[in-house]
Amino acid sequence: MSAAPIEICFWGVRGSVPAPGPEMNRYGGNTSCVELRIGGELCIIDAGTGLIPLGRELLKTEFGKGGGMARLFLSHAHWDHIQGFPFFGPIFIPGNKFAVYGPGRSSAVLENILEGQMNPHFSPLYTMKNLGAAIEVHGVEGEDGVRIGTDLSVKVTSCTNPHGPTTSLAYRFEQAGRAVVYASDAGYAPTGPSPEASHLYAGAHTIIHDCTYSPEDRKARLQRGFSSTEDAARAAIQAKAQRLVMFHYDQDYNDDVVDALAQRTRRFLDENGGTSIVLEPAREGLRLTV
Amino acid sequence: MRVNFWGVRGSYPVPGHDTNRYGGNTSCVEVKVSDDPDAPHIIIDAGTGLRKLGKEMMSGTFGEGKGVSHLLVSHTHWDHIQGLPFFAPLYQKGNDLFVYARQRDDTHLRSVFASQTDSHYFPVPFDEAQASVHFRELVEGAEFEIGPVKVSCTRLNHPWIAMAYRLEFEGKVVNYVTDTAPFRDILIEQEFIRQPPRPGDPLKSEDAEKLAKMRDGVVRLCEGSDLVIYDTQFTPEEYAQRPHWGHSCPEDAIEIARAAGARNVVLFHHAPERTDEQIDALVAHHRSRTTDLGLVAAAEGMVLNVGDDLPRGGKK
Repeated sequence: MSAAPIEICFWGVRGSVPAPGPEMNRYGGNTSCVELRIGGELCIIDAGTGLIPLGRELLKTEFGKGGGMARLFLSHAHWDHIQGFPFFGPIFIPGNKFAVYGPGRSSAVLENILEGQMNPHFSPLYTMKNLGAAIEVHGVEGEDGVRIGTDLSVKVTSCTNPHGPTTSLAYRFEQAGRAVVYASDAGYAPTGPSPEASHLYAGAHTIIHDCTYSPEDRKARLQRGFSSTEDAARAAIQAKAQRLVMFHYDQDYNDDVVDALAQRTRRFLDENGGTSIVLEPAREGLRLTV
Repeated sequence: MRVNFWGVRGSYPVPGHDTNRYGGNTSCVEVKVSDDPDAPHIIIDAGTGLRKLGKEMMSGTFGEGKGVSHLLVSHTHWDHIQGLPFFAPLYQKGNDLFVYARQRDDTHLRSVFASQTDSHYFPVPFDEAQASVHFRELVEGAEFEIGPVKVSCTRLNHPWIAMAYRLEFEGKVVNYVTDTAPFRDILIEQEFIRQPPRPGDPLKSEDAEKLAKMRDGVVRLCEGSDLVIYDTQFTPEEYAQRPHWGHSCPEDAIEIARAAGARNVVLFHHAPERTDEQIDALVAHHRSRTTDLGLVAAAEGMVLNVGDDLPRGGKK
């Protein structure tokens, strides 16, 4: 059985905090948000400010009329991964449906986190109850996986990666033998990805991986819990992935810095057994198919 | 007195080609009263613009842990505080940061700020900031001094209430008035407003009274001002759709500045979707019909000397 291609579009590729400025124009300054079309479903991974322009596009479709349905997968709830949510146009339209998946062993934990960003000290929305769309929240940490898509043909699994003082979830979306992995905000131990993470990544076609830092900056900021470009390259080589997408750049890395990092990472892959791996530095608007 | 604009945007940061010239960072303004290193350093609002300001500050006394800064906060909506966790001087031992904002009715300011960096949301808890952070909870109408600068404040028409500020130094006056709706169609306080009235609908008399008093307060605060920085997020058409969001139009800023006998208006807190070209057009439109006031739109990196005349309409 042949399945339709998996389509990926990048709406926000930046880490920590949105970084406006002409020197960021090519890769973009919006924080993490990736659109994934798989098995007839719209999956959105992380809700950084990139979610806001995605929302504007979606309003031109059935989401503008209250007939949209999407699943939002959150890696964790640090600001740069949720700050677009209160400004996501489709959540204000009654009739739209959203399922939100994220860390937490119960939906209440995740729901409280999302409520916290909307409390009236911080937001004029006051509470998620004021959003027009129907929103279901599911904590997936420690779960076996979620089946979604036409005929439940897509399996979404996750694992917990260390991320400085906290953790973040990496996701694997798999259908008909093809898999896309999203692993942002991962600060591995010196030994690399955990056995669980290695298992999650193994054989994935495309790995969208945390590349916050250059190897030097990673060393200087170990406790922050992010990957270097080399950490990402090693993970992709180990997983025998076909494509590595660099993602979640430091807010101070301008376009030229990212260009240079991409070149260095290409060399690193070539010198370490990853010659066959296609390297794509993520930028806003980049579209990939699997 | 000199004003440096570090973030001029409302609601959320907007990176991208369309905002290169006016800038995409959220609200943050620096006020320097002189180049004397002992002169007080004042910042108004802590949107994402604060991050770059903080970096610049680290090249001076703040990098040595000897800096003192005063942060006046209009209110604690995200776009006015989200830069604070990325403010480098906060993580340098020895620095002092005084934070001024309207007191909350239900909790202490410190806990509001601390919850922004709750472990779910941010890796470094607020209480681990190395600098000493001192909170000053303000009541409406408070008057106080930051060194030789006289500061006063009054409340605005915005969800959960924002404060406008007046800074006065050696006879020069700058005002910061954001976020606020005009004072005519709807009273915005603590309640969530599900269905706004239509602009022009009659108001309850107690609401009308409160709004009139609020407007008087703002006009008095801006009296004789050299520079009024004002929330102009909306066009009149946008305002008519969302009067309960708590933002004004350039027309409102001009009207208040005129009533206060101010000399110059700065359009500020631009809507996130407003492109550089659209802001250019707004400035051209309003300047052409405003001959009695100087008028500019705030842009990241812009520096204004308080007291200078800004461009105005009419004959050259």
